Amino acid sequence: MRARVRALFRLLSLQASWNYERMQGIGMAFAELPLLEEVAYGDAKLRHAAIARAAEFFNANPYLASAAIGASIRAERDGEPSERISRLRTALCGPLGALGDQLFWVGSLPALLGLTLLAIAWGAGAWAVLGFLLAHNALRLSVHTWAFDMGLTYGVRVGGAIQASWLPKAVAVAGPAAGFLVGLAAPLSGAWLLERTPTRGGLLIASGIAVALLIVRRIGWRLSTAEVTLGLLALAILWDAAKGLL
Amino acid sequence: MAIALARVDDRLIHGQVVIGWGRPLDAKMIVLVDEVVRYSDWEQEIYRMAVPADMQVVFATVQEAGARLAEWQGSPQQVIVLTGDIATMAALYSKNPAALSSINLGGVHHRPGRTERLRFLYLSPEEAAMLNDLTVHGAVITAQDLPASRAVPVAEVLG
Repeated sequence: MRARVRALFRLLSLQASWNYERMQGIGMAFAELPLLEEVAYGDAKLRHAAIARAAEFFNANPYLASAAIGASIRAERDGEPSERISRLRTALCGPLGALGDQLFWVGSLPALLGLTLLAIAWGAGAWAVLGFLLAHNALRLSVHTWAFDMGLTYGVRVGGAIQASWLPKAVAVAGPAAGFLVGLAAPLSGAWLLERTPTRGGLLIASGIAVALLIVRRIGWRLSTAEVTLGLLALAILWDAAKGLL
Repeated sequence: MAIALARVDDRLIHGQVVIGWGRPLDAKMIVLVDEVVRYSDWEQEIYRMAVPADMQVVFATVQEAGARLAEWQGSPQQVIVLTGDIATMAALYSKNPAALSSINLGGVHHRPGRTERLRFLYLSPEEAAMLNDLTVHGAVITAQDLPASRAVPVAEVLG
């Protein structure tokens, strides 16, 4: 039990040793070590091979990577052949990355930021920022722990178990929810900002957004929804500022 | 064209495929051609995990997929055909060159013996020769990780 807590804690620094050759591999092995020490191999060579296996190339969403550690440990305990454990880890990278990125990066994180902006526009002040930090971390730590336990319970069958869980359903609604909340927050927080910023400040904000957009555009020419939203916001602020100047 | 994308990607089904390509192409089916995954239930479960409910996943061997390429090409649905390496794609191409006239190199990563050609494309001399052979046989091959990035013609990669 203590080893489980240590592994979960170590996993928080998963990306500290990120590199192009193994990506999160070293971080995975570091987190897995306390649990691997408890597996009865009976032979030091087998244990060393397991540690080397744990450090192989790995890359997934950092908040869901714990599922791969749980599943690997379960497979190691069950005495699965090493080839199968390596294939398990390789197979988990893509799907855990896709699910986690959709759930967090384009889902809960922008959704919570949208809510925070709305709360600020409605007068919550700095408390909204604290609330955001608490909510985001509570969510990611509970998913982190949940995914680890799913892996540990189901081993190589973790794929079917996660597919039948709440996660894919949450992923399906997270993106649209984030789009809605950010879309709602952009004009309301823009209006809030304009109310307390003199015209010159508005111009400064608009030019800032315009410069940021130009820098982003240097990479390619396609505009994302977020960029269009920011662009429109900048135009609105400019229009308002221009009216103030006239 | 109903086979909207024929892609080589050693990560098989992941975010770039499902979201990056699947959404803009409006793909309703992914065909994963892999001799091992075809007979591995638990790996199939893992690869299905990240696929939205409205997208169908078919696991096939080269033999099975080769026999159905014409059917998918004629289907009203947009289909993504995926292999984990260049050798598998080359074997599939030889089954029905007309159905796979354009091939996308989406991700072949570092392994001993491979050298870097692009950030997401490492090739062994054998793989480079296979690509060359495919182009000689009429395949149009480009390297492109995401729809928004530039499609690099294979001649540029090999040259």
